[in-house]
Amino acid sequence: MSTSNAALRLDDLCKSYGRIRAVDHLSLEVRAGEMAGFLGPNGAGKSTTLYMTSRLVHPTGGEIEIFGRNVWSDFKSAIRYVGTMVETPSFYEYLSARKNLELMGRLRGNVTERDIRDNLERIGLSERQDDKVSTYSHGMKQRLGLGMALLGRPRLLVLDEPTNGMDPEGTREILSFLQEKVRDDGLTVFISSHLLYEVEEYCDRVFVINHGHLISSGKVKEILAPHENVVLVSFGGKPPDTEALIKEEGIEHIEILPGEVFEITLANRDAAWLNGLLLKWGYKVSSLISKRKTLKEFFLSITGGKE
Amino acid sequence: MSNMIIPLLRNEVAKATRTKLPYFGFLVISILCVLIFIVTGSTLDGETLNAWGYTCLSMQLVFTDIGLICLAVFSSMLIAEETAFGTVRAVLSSPVLRWEFYTAKVLTGLLYAAAMSIISLIVSACLGSWNFEFGDVADSMGLIYSNKEVFVNFLLAFFLSWIPLASLVMYGIFISTIVRRSGQAVAVTIGTIYLIDFTKHIVGIDSYIFTRYIGFSWQVFNQVAQGVDYHWRPQVWNMIAMSLVYCFVLFAAGLTIFSRRDING
Repeated sequence: MSTSNAALRLDDLCKSYGRIRAVDHLSLEVRAGEMAGFLGPNGAGKSTTLYMTSRLVHPTGGEIEIFGRNVWSDFKSAIRYVGTMVETPSFYEYLSARKNLELMGRLRGNVTERDIRDNLERIGLSERQDDKVSTYSHGMKQRLGLGMALLGRPRLLVLDEPTNGMDPEGTREILSFLQEKVRDDGLTVFISSHLLYEVEEYCDRVFVINHGHLISSGKVKEILAPHENVVLVSFGGKPPDTEALIKEEGIEHIEILPGEVFEITLANRDAAWLNGLLLKWGYKVSSLISKRKTLKEFFLSITGGKE
Repeated sequence: MSNMIIPLLRNEVAKATRTKLPYFGFLVISILCVLIFIVTGSTLDGETLNAWGYTCLSMQLVFTDIGLICLAVFSSMLIAEETAFGTVRAVLSSPVLRWEFYTAKVLTGLLYAAAMSIISLIVSACLGSWNFEFGDVADSMGLIYSNKEVFVNFLLAFFLSWIPLASLVMYGIFISTIVRRSGQAVAVTIGTIYLIDFTKHIVGIDSYIFTRYIGFSWQVFNQVAQGVDYHWRPQVWNMIAMSLVYCFVLFAAGLTIFSRRDING
C-alpha cells in the first residue's frame, strides 16, 4: 500500500477507550501535494485519528508515518514537517497574536521575525497583532490557529474542522487559501470535516470514516457524486402541468419546494434527458441542477441504509 | 534534533513575566517581610537580636506560611493551566517531547522558588540592617562566632533551604499533572499540604514529611545567630535525603503519568 510520495500513511491504526473502539484498523495514505478530505459524522473517529498523527493520543495499535518517518520512533524528524490544528485552536489568551506566534515559532526552530510578520499578514491579523487574543472573535482565533499551523513552512497541514464556527465568507477565504498553497507551493493538506460541500468543492481525494473505520475512499468526483436521479428545476415562464408530467415514463415523483422549485425524481433517466423532455414540451427552464446529497443521504447511500 | 528545554524555559519566563501571579507572590512576601520588621522592631532591640537573627527569623516565617502558599499556587498551576486551556496540545504538536515539556515546567517552578527566596532574602536583609547589625556574634564574655563563620553558615542555611522548597515545587507540579483544572489543582495542593501538616504528629509520620524541613536550615542558623551551640548533622542528612527522595519520586511519577496520558480535548 505504501508509495514513495506518501505524505501521511496510517497503517492498521487502532484506538480503544475501554470497550469502545474509536478507531478501528484504519489504513489510509495521503499523497504529497494533494488536498485530501477526511469526512465523517460527529463521533466517527476523525479527531482521535488526527490527535494520533501528532502523538497527542497513544494508539492501541498500528503505525503512522509522515514523509516516511515513524511518528512514534522518530517523532522530532516527523513532526517538523507538520503543521497541526486539532479542534478549536488554543492560545495564551493573555498574550497578543504576535507573542503567541513568537512562542510557537521558538519551538519550531526555523521561524524568523519576518516569517511571523508575513504570517500575520497572510491570515489578515496584522492590524490586531498586538491585541490580546482574549479580545479576538471566534473567526479571528480560527485564522490565528491556521497561522500557527503554517509556522515553520510545514510540508503537511493536518487540520481538524478548521472552518468550524466561521461565516461562509471566512470559510471560503481559508479553503481557497489552502487550495492555493497546495497548487503553488506543493503543500499537502489533510482536512477533516463533517460538511460535505467543503470537501466536495476543495479536496482532490476523500477518505470517509464511520464508527472508526474507513468505509470509502477515492476521488471526490467519484465518491461524492451528486444524486443522479433527483433534479431541481426552476422555470422562467409558466410552471409545468405536474399532472401531465408525472405520466411521462421516466419520471417517478414530483414535489414542489418553496420558491417554485420542482424536485423531480427520475427512474433510470438523467438530468440531460429531463432537460430535453421539458424543452420538447415547450417549458422555459431557467435552471436545472442535480440535487446534492446531504451528509446523511451520502452515508446512507454508501452504507446501504445502515447507520 | 536539539534539546527543546531551553526554548521551552524561555517561553515559560516570557509567559510568567506577562501574568500577575508571580508578581503578586513577590509582593506578598515583601509585605510579609515588612510586617515582620514592624513587629520585631517594636518588641525586640539590638541587645536581644542581631541582623543575622532577624534575617533568619524573617526567612523562616516567610517560607513556613505565605511563601509556601504562593509557591504551591504557582507550581500547581504550571501544567493544569495548559491542560485546561488546551495550549498543551499546540506545544506538544511541535517538535517537543513530553519529558522536555515536563522538565521545563519543573525548572520554571524551581526558578520561581529561587527568585522568591532571593527576593525575600534581599528584603529581609535590607530591613534587618536598618535596625540591627551584621557582624560578629558575641556576648559579654567576648567573641562567640566570627562574622566570617556566621556568613558561611548563613549561606549554607540559605542554599539548604532550597532543597525542601524543590520538593514542594515537585509536589505542586505532580498535582498539576493529575488534576486537569488549575483552580482544583491549587485547592488540592494546598488542602493536602495543610491536612498532612495538621495530622502528621498525630499519626507519627512527622519525620517523613518534607514540609517539616522547610524551616529546618533557618532553625539551625538561628542557633548560630544567637551564639549558642549549633549542629547541622545528623539532621541535615535526613533533610537532604528525605527531600531528594520526594523530588525524585514525585518527578518520576508525574512524568510517567504525563507521558502516558492521552491529550485530547
